[in-house]
Amino acid sequence: MKILVFFIGFLGASSAWADDQSGEQIYAKKCLSCHGKNGEGSKDHPELLIGDRSLEKLTAYVARSMPEDKPGTCIGDEAKKVSAYIYDAFYSRAAQARNKPPHIELARLTVGQFRNAIADLVASFKETPKPDERRGLHAEYFNAKRPKDDKRVVDRVDPVLDAVFPADGPTPEVKGEEFSGRWTGTLLAPETGVYEFNLESVNGARLFINAPDQPLVDAWVRSGDEKAHRETLYLLAGRLYPVKVEFFKEKKEKAASVALKWKLADRVEEVVPQDYLSPGRASDLLLIRTAFPPDDKSMGYERGNLVSKAWDEATTEAALEVAGYVTSHLRALSGVALDAADAKTKLPSFCRKFTERAFRRPLTPEQVSFFIDRPFAQAKDLEAAVKKCVLLALKSPRFLYREVGGAEPDQFDTAARIAFGAWDSLPDTELFEAARAGKLGTREEILKQIERLLGTPRAHAKVRQFYQQWLQMDRLHELSKNAKRFPEFNEQIASDLRRSLDLFLDDVTWSEASDFRQFVLADYVFLNGRLAKFYKADLAEDAPFQKALGGLGQHAGLLTHPLLMAGFAYDSTTSPIHRGLFVARSLLGRRFRPPPEAVTPLSPELLPDMTTRERVSLQTKPQACQSCHATINPLGFAFENFDAVGRYRNTEQGKPIDASGFYWTRGGDTVKFNGARQLGESLAAAEETQAAFIEHLFHFMIKQPVLAHGLDRPETLRQSFIQSGYSIRKLLAEIIASSATVGARNQGKNP
Amino acid sequence: MMRYSSRREFLRDLGVGAAAAPFLTQLPSLGFARDTGPAKQRLIIMFSPNGVIPQNFWPDTEGEDFTLKESLTPLEPFKKQMLTLHGVCDKVRGDGDSHMRGIGCLLTGVELFPGNIQGGSHTPAGWAKGLSIDQEIKNYLQANPATKTRFGSLEFGVMVPERADTWTRMVYTGANKPIAPINDPYQMLNKLYGRAKDQEALKSVLDEVREDLDAVKGKLGAEDRRLLEEHAAFVREMEQQLQAAKAEKNVVPAPELPPGVKGDSAENMPRLSQLQIDLLVNAFQNDFSRIATLQYTNSVGGAKMKWLGITEGHHELSHKEDKDTAAVEQLTKINKWFCEQLAALAKKLSETPEPGGEGSMLDHTTIVWTNELGKGNSHTLDDIPFVLVGGGLGFRMGRSIKYRKIPHNRLLLALAHGFGHRLERFGNPDLSADGFLNLA
Repeated sequence: MKILVFFIGFLGASSAWADDQSGEQIYAKKCLSCHGKNGEGSKDHPELLIGDRSLEKLTAYVARSMPEDKPGTCIGDEAKKVSAYIYDAFYSRAAQARNKPPHIELARLTVGQFRNAIADLVASFKETPKPDERRGLHAEYFNAKRPKDDKRVVDRVDPVLDAVFPADGPTPEVKGEEFSGRWTGTLLAPETGVYEFNLESVNGARLFINAPDQPLVDAWVRSGDEKAHRETLYLLAGRLYPVKVEFFKEKKEKAASVALKWKLADRVEEVVPQDYLSPGRASDLLLIRTAFPPDDKSMGYERGNLVSKAWDEATTEAALEVAGYVTSHLRALSGVALDAADAKTKLPSFCRKFTERAFRRPLTPEQVSFFIDRPFAQAKDLEAAVKKCVLLALKSPRFLYREVGGAEPDQFDTAARIAFGAWDSLPDTELFEAARAGKLGTREEILKQIERLLGTPRAHAKVRQFYQQWLQMDRLHELSKNAKRFPEFNEQIASDLRRSLDLFLDDVTWSEASDFRQFVLADYVFLNGRLAKFYKADLAEDAPFQKALGGLGQHAGLLTHPLLMAGFAYDSTTSPIHRGLFVARSLLGRRFRPPPEAVTPLSPELLPDMTTRERVSLQTKPQACQSCHATINPLGFAFENFDAVGRYRNTEQGKPIDASGFYWTRGGDTVKFNGARQLGESLAAAEETQAAFIEHLFHFMIKQPVLAHGLDRPETLRQSFIQSGYSIRKLLAEIIASSATVGARNQGKNP
Repeated sequence: MMRYSSRREFLRDLGVGAAAAPFLTQLPSLGFARDTGPAKQRLIIMFSPNGVIPQNFWPDTEGEDFTLKESLTPLEPFKKQMLTLHGVCDKVRGDGDSHMRGIGCLLTGVELFPGNIQGGSHTPAGWAKGLSIDQEIKNYLQANPATKTRFGSLEFGVMVPERADTWTRMVYTGANKPIAPINDPYQMLNKLYGRAKDQEALKSVLDEVREDLDAVKGKLGAEDRRLLEEHAAFVREMEQQLQAAKAEKNVVPAPELPPGVKGDSAENMPRLSQLQIDLLVNAFQNDFSRIATLQYTNSVGGAKMKWLGITEGHHELSHKEDKDTAAVEQLTKINKWFCEQLAALAKKLSETPEPGGEGSMLDHTTIVWTNELGKGNSHTLDDIPFVLVGGGLGFRMGRSIKYRKIPHNRLLLALAHGFGHRLERFGNPDLSADGFLNLA
């Protein structure tokens, strides 16, 4: 009896207690021990109490599953009050921003920016020939074993270098069994990284890229039967490099051929395509050889927010490399030789220009004295003085860090922000001089410069790097599929798919409309003959890349691009989880913690009667999984019509595909769809999609948190994005322009 | 230029996904630290082209009692520390003419690949099919921490033409992998001491770098200052490490080279020879390497040795008939000049005490002077000139030896065995069949 009364009393007391407790008090009693006083977590439960659910969904979740050890004891009004408290105090985006106001951090140059800056700094002292609009290489053939001017018989532009000559000469003009050839021009590097070049010839040949006196491939002496000659070379993206091939056929040789091929990362070897060659000229670039430790990428973009001993050593090593290069090429860079009569007066002036360009601003008189006059006065000779100036400049925080002036930003800062925003490097001469002349003050002037920079290959390369990251291409390295199920899916197809995606991204971004919505709405895919055959589209076998419809099912831009469909899949089955995660992160801007336990996917062989959808649902059924998978899975199921190699299908295991799904907006509404096209249509219209894209793009281009540039910046950008017709190009310009005039390291306040 | 055998190697070295190689661990190796341990052994292989005049080169008698002919008289002071080996032949056949095989198979003992370099006769050829003995021994020494040196081997050249073909290369790290000798003494100096010069330059700026960092830091807010303070701490650390490194010196400092000695005019050849010899001995003193090659011009070398009163090119002269006494006299003089270079090198080594050891450096070094041909006008590959000076390999010196046409692979094996590297075959296996020459 006694016990029963007590029990009833306890229950009664409990609900009565909740009635006059505030959300905060309920939190303190029922949640704090695991989640911490400010949602910061605890020793056993370290995750932050932050997320993307709407208040309504958060409340429902709490009522259903919290507290973790006693689910169902916090329901109804109690759940509502505590959820409201949690949402406003630390859970929601607004709360997060309020608690930890993002601010513009002091940043050093990222590794990419450092390499670019060095290359451009040195290049600014060399001639920049005007790019040649023609495509192909300047080809000369000679009637002799060595290229000699008086023996030249052919002078033209060859579209690519892939030649097999009859043994008695490449053209009728070449007479005899002994002849030579020379191809010159420029090579455009589409990405930053390691290139594998193959100078393939059954005769003697040499390849020069960038360094004009040192061949990258020296196969002049043919030795044995090997005709492939491969060497690797690291190149920076978006730049033109001088290229030269020399070749000769010796009398006794029975055959003659020469080809210039390359292999980009994750692609098959191919003849260097015409698009990347021009018969013009380019100056060689200083590509420093020093190895660097990688930058912090924890926020999703490379940041220069940390320094380390390895980094300090790398920048020092690089500075020494540049100092050595400058002194050994002094005449070419400064116009003055070390032993010239006027060297003593002209070299300090050269060093001053060098330092100014490195610092992105003119030197004050004190700085001239410190960085130029003192080294020249103290050094034992002119060469040592120049070296010292270079070292001082490149080891200075004024070069290594962004904006250390400490004063209010001026037009030189604007110029630097424009340059680093558009192409991750120093301002070029035109931009620098505009700042010096005070012509970077108005919005029009600023936009004009930005648009100029955005039109260059270097800027295009940076945007391409953004897409690589946004689309998580680094997860798509290995695309090997089950050889029995997909026998024709080979490295060549994978390579073609990467090119197809590149073409699509470029086509949308740099077209006149530059309409972002095409990324989730476009019903075509770029295919060539090989891909058309594999994806059952109607193109000739040797057709070049072009937009193709039909035979592909219901496409929706990037969402269903075969590369991504194949990439977010296992070797025989699809992976709705990876696909759903991709949409949730890259398109809806949601954040997810790693899974609470490492889980191996359920093997399809163990559950042969289940469809992928059924199996994945089964796997993620436990409550602990559902906190994330309730969002991820229904997005991923929309793609089930696209199999593990991106081909369209209507059935799986004999059952019709169920591609229905949904997602919850942050506001709490449910958006339903059936299949990828409908998902695409919903995403195209969704505020969240625009906001997510803008945030990702801003972070990548500017490398600072967007909220640090103003709490209302994301919304301002979004409005102008909509008004411009969702133009990516205009968004890029707007992002860079708005960040170019922000105040100095504000604390998330509006400028 | 960066050359890597695989993208992965390249990426690893570029630091993509891996830590960077620390700059400071590339400090020059420290000669004095090797005071203890077994005595050092060194090998220098010196090359000159176009054969010799046999009657003015080879001693007539065998054994310990022999007279030096005209071309070898500069070696008189070293008679007790020298060996002449007559009857050692380059028996490698295959593609390429005698000159090409003369130099290409000389240190490799293996055939040349068929290729596109056409000589005066025979079939066109490419590079040698294997590595050279100096690189074989270098690899052996580098694999052992007790004998490992900073460079392993150094390749010196004097007036070697800039082109890379089968006539200009005698050192190979492997099949189809020739190494170019460094012709330019300034380039060699930079290779040996550039790092140290860099460190001097660095030391002279680090103070100002810290001054600069302080100035900038002063203008920043508290949180930003933290990053620069970390940075400044690393700069201070680097400064301290450089100071500490200063205390460990090389045995001898970098030599001062006279400026403006251009490497491309034949008149400078004597000066260049002297500078390269100085650098070589200096490098050995600081134990940067224990293997070196010294290549004078190239196979078919056409040097015009005007300082000897000779106006015709070396190769042209070497093709004159035996009865052309003027030519014979000049060729004898040319080889005597080469011998003087050898004697100068030997003298310098003999006058330098062995760092951290006993006797002179020459006691611990063996110089092998050799040639591509036995005789210039006949292009014979028999009786290849081999003259050894020094005490580095435990051979019994002070003799003239005559063999009966043995393959030179056996001598190459003897050099390896002298280092304790007991190879059974080198180059063409058939030519190694009778094992190493016992010169002890």
